[in-house]
Amino acid sequence: MSVTIAQAVWQGLVILFGGTLLGMFYKGLDRKLAAQMQGRIGPPLRQPFFDVVKLMVKENVVPDHAVGWLYNLMPLVSLASVATLLFYLPLGGYTPLLGGYGDLILILYLLAVPSLAMVVGGFAAGSPFATVGAQREMVMMMAYEFPLAITFLSIAWRLSAILPGQPVFSLTVLAANPLWGLVGPIGFIGLLLLFFALLIVTPAELAKIPFDIPEAETEIAGGILAEYSGRNLAMFYLGDAIKMVVMSSLMVALFFPYGLANVFNVAGVWGGVIDVAFFLVKVFAVIFVAVIAVRVGFARLKIGQVTRMFWLPVTGVALLGMLLLTLDRFV
Amino acid sequence: MNNQSIKLEVGGSTACYTVPVGPVHPALKEPIRFHFDLDGEQIVGVDIKPGFAHRGIEYMGMRRNLIQTLYLSERICGICSISHPLAFTQAVENAAGIAVPPRAQYIRTIIGELERIHSHILWAGVGAHELGFDTLLHLTWNVREKCMDLLEELTGNRVDYAIPIFGGVRRDIPAEKAPLAVEALGYYKGLLDQLVDTFLHDKSIEMRTRGIGALTYDQAVELCAVGPVTRAAGVPKDVRQDMPYLAYADMDIKAITPRDLGVEPTGDVYDNIIVRLLEVAQSIEIIEFCLENLPEGEITSIPKVPALLAALKNAEGEGIGRHEAPRGEVIHYVRLVEGQDEMAAWKVKAPTYSNLMSWVPKFLGDEVADIPIIAASIDPCMCCMDRVHIADETGTTSEKTKAELVRLSREKTRRICG
Amino acid sequence: MIFGTLLKQLISRPATNPFPVKYMPKSVTGVLKKVAAGQAAIHPPVPTPKDLRGKIAYDRETCIGCGLCEKVCPARVIELYKPEGEEKNKIRMYVARCTFCAQCVDACPVNALATTEEFLLASPDRFAESLVVE
Repeated sequence: MSVTIAQAVWQGLVILFGGTLLGMFYKGLDRKLAAQMQGRIGPPLRQPFFDVVKLMVKENVVPDHAVGWLYNLMPLVSLASVATLLFYLPLGGYTPLLGGYGDLILILYLLAVPSLAMVVGGFAAGSPFATVGAQREMVMMMAYEFPLAITFLSIAWRLSAILPGQPVFSLTVLAANPLWGLVGPIGFIGLLLLFFALLIVTPAELAKIPFDIPEAETEIAGGILAEYSGRNLAMFYLGDAIKMVVMSSLMVALFFPYGLANVFNVAGVWGGVIDVAFFLVKVFAVIFVAVIAVRVGFARLKIGQVTRMFWLPVTGVALLGMLLLTLDRFV
Repeated sequence: MNNQSIKLEVGGSTACYTVPVGPVHPALKEPIRFHFDLDGEQIVGVDIKPGFAHRGIEYMGMRRNLIQTLYLSERICGICSISHPLAFTQAVENAAGIAVPPRAQYIRTIIGELERIHSHILWAGVGAHELGFDTLLHLTWNVREKCMDLLEELTGNRVDYAIPIFGGVRRDIPAEKAPLAVEALGYYKGLLDQLVDTFLHDKSIEMRTRGIGALTYDQAVELCAVGPVTRAAGVPKDVRQDMPYLAYADMDIKAITPRDLGVEPTGDVYDNIIVRLLEVAQSIEIIEFCLENLPEGEITSIPKVPALLAALKNAEGEGIGRHEAPRGEVIHYVRLVEGQDEMAAWKVKAPTYSNLMSWVPKFLGDEVADIPIIAASIDPCMCCMDRVHIADETGTTSEKTKAELVRLSREKTRRICG
Repeated sequence: MIFGTLLKQLISRPATNPFPVKYMPKSVTGVLKKVAAGQAAIHPPVPTPKDLRGKIAYDRETCIGCGLCEKVCPARVIELYKPEGEEKNKIRMYVARCTFCAQCVDACPVNALATTEEFLLASPDRFAESLVVE
């Protein structure tokens, strides 16, 4: 696989642009469907675009007490890290642009960067609400990172035993070899448990209700984002939109990497189109189940309750899944 | 540390930092300021500063004739837009010795109870929103529309009904409109189980409200809390039960406490939800009783407006009107002087004024995340309550000591009583 | 469980009445002008009941100019004046201030005032022709 620099730049731009558009589209869909479920009309599908444009032209206010350079840098860091993640996603059947240069561990780290950037930005804002929000975000990260890591690592480890010698930590290899058919019944149950754990981690990773504790509009008036405005807020907004796509694509790549092209026996360009379309539908399905339905169906939890929930039941489920996969390996 | 403001602290812990909430904050629907001393996420001290919504309504009311003031009293609060006029008309009727025909008393009761239904449902929605459960907010407010539509049908207005007048009511409930009310009541009866199920059996709501913002029986009695707040703490206090007025005297009204659902009262937010939902059921029963037993006869004792104005002008005396508003007991005091169109004195005590202090024990020991729902749990209404605004010569607000406040309020009482 | 309700609402029509239009138009005044010119239609508001207390109608001929309505009006909507060349006082109502209690209708001894069901009264000009009744 050799790509010239010009090709890489061109492809990179397409992926960046497409990923952002996709994120905004899903965000619009999220708002529209949530509104519909609540019996409202909701905003038009293109509302996120209006929002971003409007934020971009608004004044970028830096509070007096803020640490200016940190405060302005963090939205950029957040957006850059999620945008980098886009290059690692196996879209449909295509090989990701940076597929050969990084693995699951890097993705795990990159996923944590936006949250960390928000924490730093929140502390740098110098407002009590942002400080409380940043503290909460840190606690949240400690709560959900463990089950997230367990899920990713157990799947990769199990695959390594099945495909010795292959780079199993690469997302492409993981997506090309869905585990469901490769493990026995015990492993299958373990995989189901891991899937369930990741399903609960997803809204937390994306800071959606019931886990939108660091932002908690009614409690701390937007928390971390309380002081952000204009261009900075737009970057966080875009980062959030892209992260939603990234998180659900990861889920799809790990658990539902199946394509339709082989089923319909279509090859070539049309096969690719079908696979990409099916991939988008799968991403939407994950967003619907893990984000939209959850955020309209629950009340916001408290930080103590969330930590307890992630440390005991969710981590427990993930560990049990890992244990079952391990058993499956040696049975 | 000043002793002028409402402040209470628990010992043993040192507060790390202070978080101000209000006067403008997403958790507050109306302006009030809290200062919370926090130890981590735990609240260890709270300071409440009201007075941002003072509009000088009593002063304005004493410069208009009584009929004009009646509509002003309706606008003390947008949600209690029948509770204040009901208390006010009773106060004036007591002062002027005007009788109210039984049919008018029943109609007033019906409108008052309809208001309780929509107010409690509105509160449930606001509470859900404070918990971050916007879906329930939209569901409950959608359900509330039926009650608003019925009120619009019966009175001609959706919010400020303009129904009571001194000596009666302004609009009758004709026989052809009664079925509409019966239908709406049937709708709510069918919905109650669902509401109870979604609010009381939802796991995430239960996690956020059980044991949060607790108020003991003794605290409720000591702080003179009123309305659902005190009933949630297990104090069976209800003006409709204790001092029946209007049509309530003809029924057997019992103050609702969580015990009616087999729950031992703790005064927490969960108990507040129970009490308010059960009161919706109670209101439905009351309205059904009133519709069935609506007496025949006049709807007002002085139908002609000039005669009414003259009667009010020639009246002399003082009167008190009480009403159990959805938020608790509202009291109006009125003094009339012969030969004068305006009142000589008007004093309004809104339920939130009595409930304000119960915030302090409710907040202490709970977390930052609980602030919105605890603040909402007493269903506060600042514009009802704010009767004082302290400003010094330079126009900035200042604080008064307890002794000064007592002296000032005694002076005012003397002034009001002539 | 609440999810049953949510799924039901997902496929049913929203409870919101899309009055006057479903989404915010690019130019509100532009749409209003179009509607006034008959080129566009707005979504109708929720039907109102028969006895709605809307804008007050005034029968100038019947009015005897007693001023009772002015006396009871809580919002001081009503202005009593003596038109030139006429014997009796007449009133002028500034609807922008009106609270729609209809106490003036009750007070009028000759029934010169009546409530109508008109309630779409918003206007950027409080002295617009539609907001001053005389």
